[in-house]
Amino acid sequence: MVLADLGRRINSALAQINKEPVIDEKVLEALLKEIVYALMESDVNVRLVGSLRENVRKAVNIQELPAGINKRKLIQKTVFDELCKLVDPGVEPYKPKKGKTNIIMFVGLQGSGKTTTCTKLAYHYQRKGWKTCLVCADTFRAGAFDQLKQNATKAKIPYYGSYTETDPVQIAHEGVEKFKKESFEIIIVDTSGRHKQEAELFEEMKQISAVVNPDNTIFVMDATIGQAAELQAKAFHEAADIGSIIITKMDGHARGGGAISAVAATRSPIVFIGTGEHIHDLERFSARPFVSKMLGMGDISGLMET
Amino acid sequence: QDGRYENITGQKELTERDLAPVMANMREHLIKKNVAADIASHLCDSITKNLVGQKLGSFRSVHSAVKLSMEASLTKILTPKTSVDLLRDIAQAQSESRPYSICFIGVNGVGKSTNLSKTCFWLLQNNLRVLIAACDTFRSGAVEQLRVHVRNLNMLGQGKGVELYERGYGKDAAGIAKDAISYAKANRFDVVLIDTAGRMQDNEPLMRALAKLVTVNDPDKIIFVGEALVGNEAVDQLTKFNQALKDFSGLQSPRQIDGIILTKFDTIDDKVGAALSMTYTTGQPILFVGTGQTYTDLKNMKIGHVVQSLIKG
Ligand SMILES: Nc1nc2c(ncn2[C@@H]2O[C@H](COP(=O)(O)OP(=O)(O)OP(=O)(O)O)[C@@H](O)[C@H]2O)c(=O)[nH]1
Ligand SMILES: Nc1nc2c(ncn2[C@@H]2O[C@H](COP(=O)(O)OP(=O)(O)OP(=O)(O)O)[C@@H](O)[C@H]2O)c(=O)[nH]1
Ligand SMILES: [Mg+2]
Ligand SMILES: [Mg+2]
Repeated sequence: MVLADLGRRINSALAQINKEPVIDEKVLEALLKEIVYALMESDVNVRLVGSLRENVRKAVNIQELPAGINKRKLIQKTVFDELCKLVDPGVEPYKPKKGKTNIIMFVGLQGSGKTTTCTKLAYHYQRKGWKTCLVCADTFRAGAFDQLKQNATKAKIPYYGSYTETDPVQIAHEGVEKFKKESFEIIIVDTSGRHKQEAELFEEMKQISAVVNPDNTIFVMDATIGQAAELQAKAFHEAADIGSIIITKMDGHARGGGAISAVAATRSPIVFIGTGEHIHDLERFSARPFVSKMLGMGDISGLMET
Repeated sequence: QDGRYENITGQKELTERDLAPVMANMREHLIKKNVAADIASHLCDSITKNLVGQKLGSFRSVHSAVKLSMEASLTKILTPKTSVDLLRDIAQAQSESRPYSICFIGVNGVGKSTNLSKTCFWLLQNNLRVLIAACDTFRSGAVEQLRVHVRNLNMLGQGKGVELYERGYGKDAAGIAKDAISYAKANRFDVVLIDTAGRMQDNEPLMRALAKLVTVNDPDKIIFVGEALVGNEAVDQLTKFNQALKDFSGLQSPRQIDGIILTKFDTIDDKVGAALSMTYTTGQPILFVGTGQTYTDLKNMKIGHVVQSLIKG
């Protein structure tokens, strides 16, 4: 599944160094070449891949290593740590508070999976006993309100939206105020897809954010995205202060490497991944276990203690 | 420009060693532009092969020789090898008194329904009568989405109007498409645009259902809708959509993707690599690029621009 292919390749590159009689710069460079290629094939941002390569070279300075140190283990551990850094910003994810109103706003590029994921997340909290609802602040996309309404109805989640009001800021405001009064604990606000090249759309997002005043803004990214991810993620972060990331469409073949660059661009953790079109298809995500799993825990567990 | 390589004189034959560092840079450069890594490698390998043994001649540097050769290759890959004149094909169908059918396929959320609607607008502008078949019977709001588009498009008052053919949710898509085409024939529509549900290329049941829709209806054009945002996955998507159409059709000569609409071209700046990945993988032309979310945001791709975006630093 997820990133398994990438994991296998990196793992076999790492295993290769166990077979080398001497670990010298040549061996290290060959390993790095293999890893760099595997990462680029998985859409990891080229710049991030470059700095990963530099960081490993610096940390494993073969010429200056004291004798007796286990070079293999050092290299393997450094690579593992660097991979963790790619997916782990070292920030605690936002946690909603019971008995209080927690407002979560969804933003992202067109078609990334916001509306689908909104309902999945609402359903997730509802099942855990939170009083949860949805607000549709997408007045742009054809059928957007119907989509949210049908999803919410299936999941029996209260929702707010309008067929006639064309101002998303107004609807967001009304919906959030209404549900706040009714003491909902989790209010999830869905917004239209947008992209950094259209300043007006970003301005609209800022205005919605200003009236909604979200406790957490979730950036939704599609696992298939390539090298355009980083700049989009940066721009969204600057305009909307992203707090968490959800990567969708991880049920396919895509390795999600492009979307991962959003972690560095927003300094925000990936909190869930979407693994299908159905309401249950949402999985919690945490970075380090993920990387261990990706590299095949069995092989890597030994070197985590060094 | 590239001082490191000045010592190679115009008379010396280029060797793989001369080319290797330049090609390594070129490869990374293409990947930065969002060309799939494998395709960047193949391209660089084939250019190396072409240049090895050639004299540098009038080129100022290895770099400029590589650049020129790359430009030529990119242009060749991006240039359509088959006709992209949809209107002519439609006129042909008209002369046979039958509706011309176009099926839009692709993974989730790439812009199938929106760009189907833009295509409809363009057809209306060309004075054609269009039927839209709502064959995404799965995704919430998919039918209403098309209904809104049909209403908007009719309000624009272009051409001979558009109608929606829908049977709600949960029904068999292949059957609805078939009924829509019959309805179009009986009611003298010029074109039927078939919207399908998004699906992951690895999802076998859904891919089988798509192959069935194609086999049952044998549409005149199968258009793959792919987004310019997609990275390496472009290759896998196209390969597996074609593979599924072949494997699950049960036919001797199965249908394949006939052309591509590359959407969200307005969201990627100069990272236009997906255009190359998709044409390289299929050998099929990009019929249109989607450049925004309104009906007029459907354009012909300018091959020269794409090549320049790929090459420039
Ligand atoms: N396979 C799969 N499909 C998904 C997943 N998440 C969303 N989708 C599909 O992706 C498509 C787009 O999802 P939407 O929720 O409409 O995306 P959006 O971001 O709200 O789109 P806009 O509002 O137009 O910007 C739909 O077909 C969804 O069913 C996922 O995790 N896996
Ligand atoms: N910026 C931009 N957005 C686009 C373009 N084409 C489509 N979109 C947007 O992408 C989102 C998804 O479009 P849809 O047409 O619903 O995609 P789809 O492939 O039909 O989605 P599913 O049926 O759910 O698989 C919508 O928000 C569209 O407005 C484009 O060329 N540029
Ligand atoms: Mg939406
Ligand atoms: Mg659709």
